[in-house]
Amino acid sequence: MIAITPATVLQRRSDVRYRRIEGEAVVLRQSAAEVLVLNEVGASVLELADGELSVGEWIDALAGEYDGDSASLARDVLAFAAELAEAGLLEPVAGGPEP
Amino acid sequence: MSLARVVASAWRENLLFSVLLELTYRCNLDCFFCYNDLGLRGEPLSREQYLRLLADLREMEVMNLTLSGGEPLAHPDFLALGARARELGFVVRIKSNGHALRGELARRVRDEVDPFLIEVSLHGATAATHDRQTRVPGSFERLLANLRELRELGLRVKLNSTLTRWNEGEIEGMFALADSLGLPLQVDPEVTPRDDGGREPLQVAPSPEGVLRLFRLQFARGRAAEEGRPEVRVARGGDDGTVPTPVHKHCGAGSSGIAIDPFGNVYPCVQWRRPVGNLHEKGIGEIWRGSAGLAEVRGLTVQVKERIGAEGPGSHLLNFCPGSAAAHAGSSLELYPAAVQRREILEQVMVEEEKRTLLPVVR
Repeated sequence: MIAITPATVLQRRSDVRYRRIEGEAVVLRQSAAEVLVLNEVGASVLELADGELSVGEWIDALAGEYDGDSASLARDVLAFAAELAEAGLLEPVAGGPEP
Repeated sequence: MSLARVVASAWRENLLFSVLLELTYRCNLDCFFCYNDLGLRGEPLSREQYLRLLADLREMEVMNLTLSGGEPLAHPDFLALGARARELGFVVRIKSNGHALRGELARRVRDEVDPFLIEVSLHGATAATHDRQTRVPGSFERLLANLRELRELGLRVKLNSTLTRWNEGEIEGMFALADSLGLPLQVDPEVTPRDDGGREPLQVAPSPEGVLRLFRLQFARGRAAEEGRPEVRVARGGDDGTVPTPVHKHCGAGSSGIAIDPFGNVYPCVQWRRPVGNLHEKGIGEIWRGSAGLAEVRGLTVQVKERIGAEGPGSHLLNFCPGSAAAHAGSSLELYPAAVQRREILEQVMVEEEKRTLLPVVR
């Protein structure tokens, strides 16, 4: 699994298409013709992965939206970002900090 | 949540998910059984109207956008609209006859539109049959060359075909051709009347023997696939491949999908030519939320579900389409001959398949 830190900047890969349906995200990775459905947090992460915000900034943004303690939110987001990168949906921004 | 549940949710909650745009009815081929209403007149949507439409559809979280025609590449703004659709993050599909998809244009389609899939029409396994249907000499050879070029460019291509009286005798050859090209082939066993109600295309509707031959072949290929031999995958466009169950509607026509013709008329589906609004008069959001015609269609898909369900256990074999029913029989609730024939032939083939599995195997 790719190591992700709060300083990592990720972006959606160019072949990723997604839409939000009732909060969740339907995602198509065009190159693999693969469809995934992400839950609400996953959908938010995918939206935040704009290639400008760091993962730490995602955590801050999500802290305002979801209840729960911030440490476990940070842990979940870091793990989720790594999973999405592993699944080929996200990639590090060229020139940004290495994951 | 699975994709099937998402689609079910779209059908239930009327969430627009897939839109087909018929950009133009112009075409560089002249297929005998073309379903387009070439006599339809109106003010074509302008480039600005299309751009506005795409922005509205993005706002509505529409995911699938199919660019069709006629021949969509014959629209002067095809590349610009396709590129904008890409920028807005749609999953873009192109339905084309493939005749112009070569050289610089094919490269631009790849680089600027980046379609998920290009669906190309194949009408026969030989030049004689294909060109007879397209009524353009040389179109078969040109198509084969273009298909090879598209593959080399790394574009994902699928072949679509309609079974007709003219090509039913070479259906095995069509699958073999698709195999040799490394492309999936989907064959529609039904010729439909033209969108203006004209029945001339039905002159080349396949014979019952032709449909039987197709279904037997498809079952045989299915068996071959199960035994580990190569099989042509029969992909389906949009969300059509995922049929959610249980759901109270027969299909997503007007509930998760619509079609729009070159003059801005909005229909519940490409096959259900019952106008429910026009983009010259109202925006797509307003039509989607407020059209009385769409509300009727949504109600009809519930009635169709009940009507077809009453046909009993084999009702799914009808592969009933309310749009085809309206075109063939004048009512979207009416069983039509092609559907009844399809069920009878499929039942016959399924009995044959059952006997096959009961035969003792001697090795």
